Amino acid sequence: MPAIETNRAGDRDRKVRATEIMAAAGARELRDGEVAIVGLGLPEVASVLARRTHAPRLATLLEIGVMNSAPKDTPVGLADSRTFYRSTCWSGFLDVMGMNLHRGVVDTGFLGALELDRYGNINTTLLKKESGKVRYVNGSAGGNDVASLAKRVIVIMRHEKRKLPLAVAHLTSPGFVGGRSREDLHLRGGGPSRVITDMGVLGFDEKTHAVSLLSLHPGVRLEDLVANTGFPLQIPKEVPRTPLPTDEELRLLREEIDPKGTHLK
Amino acid sequence: MAEAIGKIRSVAEVVRTIPSGSHIGLGGFSIARNPIVLVHELIRQQTGDLTISQGVAGLDTDLLVGAGLVKRLIMGGGSLDRFGPVHCVNRARETKSVQCEDYTSLSVCFRYLAGALGLSYIPIKSLLGSEILERLEAGTGTKDVKRAECPFTGEEYVLLRALTPDVSVIHVQIADPEGNCQINGPRWENEEQAKAGRRLIVVAEEIVSTEYIQRSPERTIIPGHRVEAVVHQPFGGVPTAVFGCYDYDAEHLRMYVDYAREPERVKDYLSKFVFGCRNHWEYLEKLGGLQRMEEIKADRILGY
Repeated sequence: MPAIETNRAGDRDRKVRATEIMAAAGARELRDGEVAIVGLGLPEVASVLARRTHAPRLATLLEIGVMNSAPKDTPVGLADSRTFYRSTCWSGFLDVMGMNLHRGVVDTGFLGALELDRYGNINTTLLKKESGKVRYVNGSAGGNDVASLAKRVIVIMRHEKRKLPLAVAHLTSPGFVGGRSREDLHLRGGGPSRVITDMGVLGFDEKTHAVSLLSLHPGVRLEDLVANTGFPLQIPKEVPRTPLPTDEELRLLREEIDPKGTHLK
Repeated sequence: MAEAIGKIRSVAEVVRTIPSGSHIGLGGFSIARNPIVLVHELIRQQTGDLTISQGVAGLDTDLLVGAGLVKRLIMGGGSLDRFGPVHCVNRARETKSVQCEDYTSLSVCFRYLAGALGLSYIPIKSLLGSEILERLEAGTGTKDVKRAECPFTGEEYVLLRALTPDVSVIHVQIADPEGNCQINGPRWENEEQAKAGRRLIVVAEEIVSTEYIQRSPERTIIPGHRVEAVVHQPFGGVPTAVFGCYDYDAEHLRMYVDYAREPERVKDYLSKFVFGCRNHWEYLEKLGGLQRMEEIKADRILGY
């Protein structure tokens, strides 16, 4: 996913960036002893943070065929040799996405998205301009497989109206398509459970499967979040604030996990 | 190892055996282990009308599309990681100059696996509910995907037709003259892709003796009896990374992405770095020669 350039959320006193709040919020969604398959960028950063804090026994799988790597230098992406360093296993798609993800043992899929709609459907294939012109981008890679098969899916992305439309321009990876249940869609995985943006944390209503607001990041006004969302949001009466990263989480993120700010810009 | 000829062939000789119109299973992943030396030779010999299949397309496929040699793409996705998108592939899709069938990483891998096992199809639980499946069903992929119920459980699956490239091309760190190949680092769908191929050509960074392979046979991913020819080319994947051998050439990749943005400039890139070089050694010289290769050479501990 692209680097977050604007930092709307944050804490000026401690100079906490929105991306740092996102990484910490993402890490907190990962539980010790579980199995996660993570995409490049902030998901990777969040999974490393989780393993360095509360979830040392979180198994972290990368689609390319890497398990539990502990990069010394910040990688530019999944295919970067920097993500292979200090791994516990090197295999390939068939092992990671076939005999783990397809087998049904992956608890969390952690993805980025170009667009995400009110039912958690993800687009990573193309963008349609207002003129109707289509611009192609990366496509699915393992995204559709993860969204189809992981027990729950966490998405991390920038909060913008055009990136959170009523319906995605191309349905690359299914959420609750048309508000339908996952059983109805014949999908084994449980579907999207959290969307972590630079403005707040979103979840999904158990009955309607539509996006709801769970918490607002510190420094963000509710009306700004609503104005930057392209679909109607379920909003609770009292909106909690997303906890800020702890001093230790910030230290790890800044000094050890991404010291050059490749993903935390 | 001048005496150890075995299956070792020059890249020019090998590419002459690949006719235009072939389906090539291409072994790169984004900016990792791309068989650039063979791709450049395909461009020099203008081997066209190609079908390319690949899990995650990288520089290898982008160069072939940019050179106008590809008519059909079967792929799970594509990018050059943080360096940028596969501009030539994306542009060819926008102008519809290439017929592109979108899959996912796992579904491409499963299609190769079926091919490698000699099965005619394989069921999968991805793709359901997505526009990827709808587009395949409505387009040229319609003959390769089908929804069906499991005859035992009644569960709904997507059936994928086996994928058997005319030739698979895989880039490896080491091979012996008979083609026993050992891959260092993750292998994405290389093993299934290699074994699904009707023919198999490998590009090896280093040729080792069979005795060396025999010291760690558990690391042999592709056995020699499946390999038709071995191309020996040190730094054969530059500017993509080959784990344990060298890092990606970030400077060159950034420059490539800049060229690839404009179709006219793609031509400039190809004339300078492909047509302007008689062989891979001349290309490496243009990139800075021995000094540059020494700079990107991998640290023995880090592997990059």
